[in-house]
Amino acid sequence: MSTSTPTGETHAPEIDRQAMEVDIACAGFGPAMGGFLTTLTQAWKENPADPAFESRVMPGMPLQVVCYERADDIAAGVSGVVTRARGIRTSFPNLNAAEIPMAVEVKQERVFYLLDPIGASRRSFTLRFCDAILGRTGALFGIKDHAFELPWTPGFLNKHGGLVMSIGQFNQWVGSQLMESGLVQVWPGMPVSGPLFADRAVTGLRLVEQGVDKNGAQADGFMAGMDVRAQLTVVGDGPVGAVGHALDQRLGLPEGHARHEWAVGMKMVIELPEDSPLEPGTVWHTFGFPEPEIFGFLYVHPERLVSVGIFVPSWLSDPSRTAYRYLQHYIQHPALWRYLKNGTLRSWGAKSLEESGRRGEPFLTGNGFARIGEGSGSTNMLTGSGVDEAWTTGTQLGQAVLELLRAGKPFTRETLAATYEMRRRASWVERGAREAENARNGFHGGVVRGMIGMALAGLTGGRLSLGAHIPPAHKQIREPASHSVEEGLRRDDAAALAVADGRPLHDALMTARGWPEIAFDGRLLVSHQDALLMGGKVQAMPGYADHVIFRDAGLCIACESKTCISMCSGQAITEGADGLPAFEREKCVHCGACLWNCAQSPDGEHSNIEFRAGAGGLHSAEN
Amino acid sequence: MANVLHIVVCAGIVPDPLQTLEPVTTPAGPGLKNEMVLPAVLDPWAACALYEAAHLAAGNPGSKVWLVSLGPKAKLQQVMMTVAQKVNFELVPIDGPIGGFTDAHATAAVLAETIAALPGLERDRLLLFGGWESATRGSGVTLQLVGERLGITDQFQGVDQIALRDDGSFEVLERVEGGKHQASVCGGTPAVLGWATGNLAEPRNNPQVGMANMRTMMPALQKAKPATLAANGLRYASVSLPKQQRTTRVVKDMTADAIASELAEWIGAE
Amino acid sequence: MESILVLTHAEESGTELSKGSLEAVTAGKELAARLGASFTIGIVAAHAPAGVLASAGARVLAVQGEAFAQARYASDAAACEALCRAANASIVLAPSSSRMARVAAGVAHRLGGVIDTHITSLGGSEGVEATRWFYRQRMEGVISRDARPWFLLLDAGTHAAFSGPAGEVHVEQVAVELPTQRTIVSGFREPPQDAQTIRPDARLLFVAGAGWTKKQPDGEIHAARAGELILGFLRVTGASLGSSKSLVDQGSENQPVLPFLTHMNQVGQTGSTPRHPKGLSTCCHGEEPHVVGWRFIGERRAISLDPNCGWTRGKADVVYIADAFEVMARVTELLAARKG
Repeated sequence: MSTSTPTGETHAPEIDRQAMEVDIACAGFGPAMGGFLTTLTQAWKENPADPAFESRVMPGMPLQVVCYERADDIAAGVSGVVTRARGIRTSFPNLNAAEIPMAVEVKQERVFYLLDPIGASRRSFTLRFCDAILGRTGALFGIKDHAFELPWTPGFLNKHGGLVMSIGQFNQWVGSQLMESGLVQVWPGMPVSGPLFADRAVTGLRLVEQGVDKNGAQADGFMAGMDVRAQLTVVGDGPVGAVGHALDQRLGLPEGHARHEWAVGMKMVIELPEDSPLEPGTVWHTFGFPEPEIFGFLYVHPERLVSVGIFVPSWLSDPSRTAYRYLQHYIQHPALWRYLKNGTLRSWGAKSLEESGRRGEPFLTGNGFARIGEGSGSTNMLTGSGVDEAWTTGTQLGQAVLELLRAGKPFTRETLAATYEMRRRASWVERGAREAENARNGFHGGVVRGMIGMALAGLTGGRLSLGAHIPPAHKQIREPASHSVEEGLRRDDAAALAVADGRPLHDALMTARGWPEIAFDGRLLVSHQDALLMGGKVQAMPGYADHVIFRDAGLCIACESKTCISMCSGQAITEGADGLPAFEREKCVHCGACLWNCAQSPDGEHSNIEFRAGAGGLHSAEN
Repeated sequence: MANVLHIVVCAGIVPDPLQTLEPVTTPAGPGLKNEMVLPAVLDPWAACALYEAAHLAAGNPGSKVWLVSLGPKAKLQQVMMTVAQKVNFELVPIDGPIGGFTDAHATAAVLAETIAALPGLERDRLLLFGGWESATRGSGVTLQLVGERLGITDQFQGVDQIALRDDGSFEVLERVEGGKHQASVCGGTPAVLGWATGNLAEPRNNPQVGMANMRTMMPALQKAKPATLAANGLRYASVSLPKQQRTTRVVKDMTADAIASELAEWIGAE
Repeated sequence: MESILVLTHAEESGTELSKGSLEAVTAGKELAARLGASFTIGIVAAHAPAGVLASAGARVLAVQGEAFAQARYASDAAACEALCRAANASIVLAPSSSRMARVAAGVAHRLGGVIDTHITSLGGSEGVEATRWFYRQRMEGVISRDARPWFLLLDAGTHAAFSGPAGEVHVEQVAVELPTQRTIVSGFREPPQDAQTIRPDARLLFVAGAGWTKKQPDGEIHAARAGELILGFLRVTGASLGSSKSLVDQGSENQPVLPFLTHMNQVGQTGSTPRHPKGLSTCCHGEEPHVVGWRFIGERRAISLDPNCGWTRGKADVVYIADAFEVMARVTELLAARKG
């Protein structure tokens, strides 16, 4: 045990650090961990006397399973979805959507191509040509409100029979059943700084230091992060989680795997006007607006609530890409605004999506650890589905762990591979992941090519797809103003506007590019700063270190694009003194977008921003 | 010499103070829209009372802290996962309605009955703690009513500090008008203290404290006594959001000097 | 028929009835007139300063003695209970002062009655309906009750203070048997006069937000300068200082980033909701100070760097988009010069 070496923060060796022994230590509580812990507790409820549930570290006691979650509440800081709920229904065969607030069965699914009614989006010649034809022959194609509805929903997108949910509420529902069982403990407000390593084995988790200043130096009420030692460490801390990242750093990724594709999903939960005709269970998928590369969605929950959002991908190469302003334009597209107008913003949030899918899959197992959920590469980017896949990987690990406990076997790379990985490889999650593996390749060569590639992969079950070389995310950001002279002039205009109006550069650039100003109404169209308070309630307790670190200040100072600022979902990163970006933890929603929206790289692969374990974030359970 | 104290903290759960709230009418009377979905926290002033209680108990070995909380069991469980990491206490949950529109007298009756029945609680060591007001009903009367029901006639409200003396007496600082504190010395327990913010910072989350609390917390939650609150003839004619919306003049293009002149004029001579 | 009693007490010096007490007298007088009810005023004081009530048209009762010079639960509760019994009151009004807020609930309980607090107005066409705030001044409810006696504590500033020519008042003494006193009030603690920043009677509330100690346009933090500017302004204007929670919380334990700030300055959320004729908010971005902390501020102005700050819109009368450091320095200079 004394051979364990911590990762993450480094401190003087004389620190008085508490340590605790448990059987299973878990990092991050999301759908994957929900699936894992549900599988364990369901088996325990069936037969609490099963010797598998005897604790090895506390003889005579039941298995000690603890899970630590960064957010202040297990319902906070996550995002809403539409899901086929195949894996979820397997865990809960009698699932009644009405028991989960904001959940409803999918009733109607539609796909829209959105034309640009403003003329500000950056469309290629081909796309403009197509748009012109659609525009001219609108009546023929049934175009209404500048939107062309696809006559059918492609099978790979279809979520019929699935659920529209708030993941916050779903997590809460799952979490409360787990806690009631008495077998597992889920502790919110407790970030994990990293795994404890013994060479390449993982021996547990180290929790974050508390009572430190923003730079991590000891301050009033210092409390060293506790070491939680365990025979098995389950890593489900998502695509930007500190534990997963430390593992990737230490172990590398399997040959040929890389995490180069990302998107930030930003959404609003909006209360619809009283006379809204939108039916609960309605699902819209959109593409084409506000930029051709930006996909969007609208999911209708019960009680006149709707989740509306967009995905801004890493392959939208514009260095001034921004999510909040785009989202404001998106909701005002005539096809959506017709329903959203006079609505009220109830909640707002953002998160990074790891879009490499199977191509970004890390080592799923090792001595003493297993990885589940989005951070394990389970998200299917062809079907646009991640929650059900994540949940299922959790249940697969749960079954594997039960099998190993019953057999009295240790948690080694071999035993976990033979049980967990084996289950995963044989399941629909893996089949889907393989189909999706190359589905998005085309987007790196343009939107039209991307759509063709996606359709090819989708309609042939992944047998056909386009090839692509996908550079690291930092290389996907093109140099500022290099696109054209015109772009350079707009940038100058924007810089002047930014100074005159005290607004962020990227926001001014949107205006300079012809996007109309947002007419704030104080209800739905509110400033980004207001959204932080109104839509999501961002909070950060004092006493924790900053979790966004600019690694090489020189690179930041020299960086012209500073995409980290424009893509920061919470305006937590701003232009600081001497050209070095400044980070304000109180505004961070922990979306992790800065991690991959950095054009600089000290090592050619990773960006210049490090995203560590941090406390705080959104306080909204409606996401 | 240390005093052995039995500190009972009454603390409800309230919607996270940062949430936007809206009233609705339910068959049971007024309520909050989406009440069960809103993230909840321990009532902020009562949370200060809990931290002070734990601090006091830690300095007086043999002392014990109970946290008596009335609310829907599922919500209590959720909130306690965070609170339990802060300080050591024994949870006494009462499974009852959430919200600020219930009658304080009914709440007090349930709390007093529960406290009086706490096994091992010695009344002559009792300090009854709570917030001086809640963030829901905000009436600032429940604790006094509980105190009266328990026959405690040394009561303090708006407390920011307690200093215990060796002879068992203690000095209390209470907030009074004008940014001042009234200082009193009380002969000893039992007493009621309704806390303002106190002087302690919010304790760090300590996983071991959480694990220790959890041993008694989950069984207690499973056995939580259900309680219904009588309306006691309290009737609501209406509950509404304030309508006052001002017309705001946004001044963008004035120099600092011009703004200063306008403001100086507006402020006038004090 | 209702019998109305207004419970009052002397202010700190003991020579006058407190302002809140006189406001409650106004409310009681109005209510008694409207309901055609009997009207009694009860005083708790060392020596009841009843002269001001000469024209109140009320029966005046008093519990007097040195034990009542100071506010203390046991003695005040006994005194108020005795007054209520003597007046046979069915409706008891009292100010939401720290003194009455401490004991009124206990007294209501002893009399088998009920209590509601933070009442801002009393209405109702036939009976009595009381208006009060819920959820930290976020929503307003109108309530009524059948149970009697019904105690209603009135928030300060909601009624005009009663005034009239001083004169002879017949004060009926009410005897009280005091229980053994286990609590001794030893006095008041207050910051030195020049460090006192909470001034309930000030005409202006100055609200400082977290922006004062954040990075300024030059990329640096100027907390010391912020402190000087704020204190300088308070010295010249005599304004009361309110603060947002985020500013108070910014410091380390027991050491706020602006040393003169304490949680007692905080408005909104876990702070106060003071009443002042005017309010000026600076460097403040958020709901709590503007919605909760400002609820009872008359004229409201704000200085903010954010032209789109939705929290001032609809809540302030004027928002100046400007650098508060610059503006406040100049305002203080101007006011100081004017003062001469």
